[in-house]
Amino acid sequence: MSVDCGILCSKIILEHFGGVVKTVAHDLFKVSSKTLSNIVATTKLQRSQVIECLRILVRYGLVTYKVSLQNPKIPEYSLSYEKVLLFPRYVRYMLLVKTLYGDEAELLIEELLRSGSEKASSIIVRATTRLKEIKKGCKEIPQLIIKQEDLFMSPSLSLKELTQMEEGHPEVPANDVTLRVNFDRFHQEFRDNIMISAIKRRIDDNAGELMRVILQQMYIRTEAWEPISNPIPVVEIRNAVHKVKTNPRLAQHLDQYLKVLDEDSSNFITKVADSGGGQYVVNIREAFIQLSWAAVENIVEERFGSKAARVFRLIKSKHFIEQEQIQQYALIPAKEAKLITYRLLEECFIQIQELRKSMSSAGPNKTFFLFHIDIDQVVKKCLEICYKALTNSMVRRQHERDEHKRLIEKQQRIESLTANLREQGAPADQIDELEELLTPLENEALERVRIMIARLGEAELRVDDNMFLLQLYLMYSNCK
Amino acid sequence: MSAADKGASTSQDSSSSDFEHRIIALGQSHPNGISDKDMAKEIPELPAAQRAVIINKLLAQGYIDLFNQGGVLIYKIRSAKANVIKGGDNEERIVFSIIEEAGNKGIWMRDIRTKSNLSANQLNKVLKILENKKMIKAVKSVAASKKKVYMLFHLDPDSSITGGAWYCNEDFEAEFVDILHQQCLKYLKQKWESAKEKEPDPIAAKNFSYASAQDVWKYIDDLGISKVKLSEHDVETILNTLVYDARAERNVTIDETVLFRYVEPLLSVVGLTQFPCGICPVLFRCSISGMVRPATCTYLTSWLQEYIDSA
Repeated sequence: MSVDCGILCSKIILEHFGGVVKTVAHDLFKVSSKTLSNIVATTKLQRSQVIECLRILVRYGLVTYKVSLQNPKIPEYSLSYEKVLLFPRYVRYMLLVKTLYGDEAELLIEELLRSGSEKASSIIVRATTRLKEIKKGCKEIPQLIIKQEDLFMSPSLSLKELTQMEEGHPEVPANDVTLRVNFDRFHQEFRDNIMISAIKRRIDDNAGELMRVILQQMYIRTEAWEPISNPIPVVEIRNAVHKVKTNPRLAQHLDQYLKVLDEDSSNFITKVADSGGGQYVVNIREAFIQLSWAAVENIVEERFGSKAARVFRLIKSKHFIEQEQIQQYALIPAKEAKLITYRLLEECFIQIQELRKSMSSAGPNKTFFLFHIDIDQVVKKCLEICYKALTNSMVRRQHERDEHKRLIEKQQRIESLTANLREQGAPADQIDELEELLTPLENEALERVRIMIARLGEAELRVDDNMFLLQLYLMYSNCK
Repeated sequence: MSAADKGASTSQDSSSSDFEHRIIALGQSHPNGISDKDMAKEIPELPAAQRAVIINKLLAQGYIDLFNQGGVLIYKIRSAKANVIKGGDNEERIVFSIIEEAGNKGIWMRDIRTKSNLSANQLNKVLKILENKKMIKAVKSVAASKKKVYMLFHLDPDSSITGGAWYCNEDFEAEFVDILHQQCLKYLKQKWESAKEKEPDPIAAKNFSYASAQDVWKYIDDLGISKVKLSEHDVETILNTLVYDARAERNVTIDETVLFRYVEPLLSVVGLTQFPCGICPVLFRCSISGMVRPATCTYLTSWLQEYIDSA
């Protein structure tokens, strides 16, 4: 993997787990797999420390182990760096669960994400205690929401056993199960949302709704990550749309919307047969190829300008094109066209192919220089930019926090003191006195830091969104 | 010379000029050329030797041209305008004929040199003379501005040299192209929006939002913003650039008309570009510790400052 990716992984692990774990993880990143003694030797840490680190990493699913090739009695550990890169996405997972299933579910997922993998009972108990703290008046244990798709196996626990656990009884219920978050399911939701919002923009809202219905029907017959779905008959789609009932216009013009979706140049859906009133297939692989082209073109436009985006799309549509033709078709002055083309070439967004007329090097030879785009290369390059951007954001966040460390600590101390005093029912002027320890200037500085950190966090989420799209493209282009 | 001989030669002269006229008339009536045999048939009273003399004289004066068609010698009458250079010498004539051959596209000086085998100085002189006589002109090529091509005076240069409608005096008219671009986009977008409002069902809306190249051309023509007469092909080039800007899409129907339609892009904004690092020009020189690093990056500082100011 690339250096930038390695730096990013190290930074993430440093932020979440600390320096020692980071050393071990960084060590594992550089190789495909290593035995325990090797790790101890290279990191120069104590054996017990390394074991503890590995234990933590395994619990969070970041390190896997298998039998070593040299010695069948020893396991070798390898780092799954893709799992490390999922950390910035946790906020979005929680948001998704909240919108789909509610607050309680969000708390459950949060607890699970925080502890990596944990027994179901302890997760539920911890979540309920937190919920109780939030909603002080609530006496009953909230409904147990088992989301079967999100977790591997639903535990069959009884409420009675759970209440006992909560009240401090040390017995562990009999049918307890260790849970871990099923990231693939979350990614499936994200993927669907991307496709639906793209259709909404392209055609209109009703078409977006139709896309959502079609995707739901798709899961009945097809595995979630297939590049192309099995055929879906129109009859089923029609029934599903009528069941939803919120969109009368869609129901009325269903056939027409299907036709428009079919004929649209984005190729998300194609009609394959006429039996059963028509059979439609969802081309997920094709859809993501289109979407990642759109993303890459957008990146080119923002980085180099709109004229450069025109040249880029021109080269894409003609596949192989000469310099003179670029300025002819794109209607850009010759000098500017050359400048743009060479800039794109410099940053490896386009490539050059030489066609020699004769192999001899004597005399003036007419060699054709053709420009073309290798989309896999470009997507990988954009991913690298994403890694770098994410690393920079994290570094900057850390830097801001360190700069104002003293101030932040002071504020935290004052906050905890005032909270204590409030609980003890101390008089108001004592609390005010404490709060005045923070001067208005310091308050302003703290406010600034708070805004900066929030903004950087938000930017990280957006960059991560982009990363997700590009990673999906690479996954689909690899699985033919 | 005796009087009789003189008389004979004068009579010969007058009759030879008579024959000249007859041969010229014959040549004019046969624009594809006459051979020696044809002349002998038409003017039988002209003896062969005299005919040869007359023909040589006419050749030297430039009234007729000598060609070799399949082993037979053919004489063609020179067209009227070429008679102007009958005063000039052979070199001029050769150069002129080479330039004439090149037609619309014109010919580069070096190519004239290789074809005529003249030296550079001689060629320069000849070209100057011809230019002064206003028989040829030099046209600057749009592709390579230093290159001059020569062509006949009255011909219009081909569009590959001047660049077509977008070039005015060898300068690419960027603003003109831009204005047309904007207008075409506006037209297509208006059509799309009105289609969405008026038509309730999606297929009709889609069909209504299509516009053919001809419709757009008529619209641009009616607007009257262009001083140069634009062809439909030119408007189609502009519409193609709209397609390359991903603002429009192109469709070819069964009867080969080309239709264009305004489209929204599939993705609105891409997350990476909303962060300064995505568009940073020195991104690849940036590292965690170094001259360019995120902790002290001025782009990040000013970007964060914007949010602090607006909050």
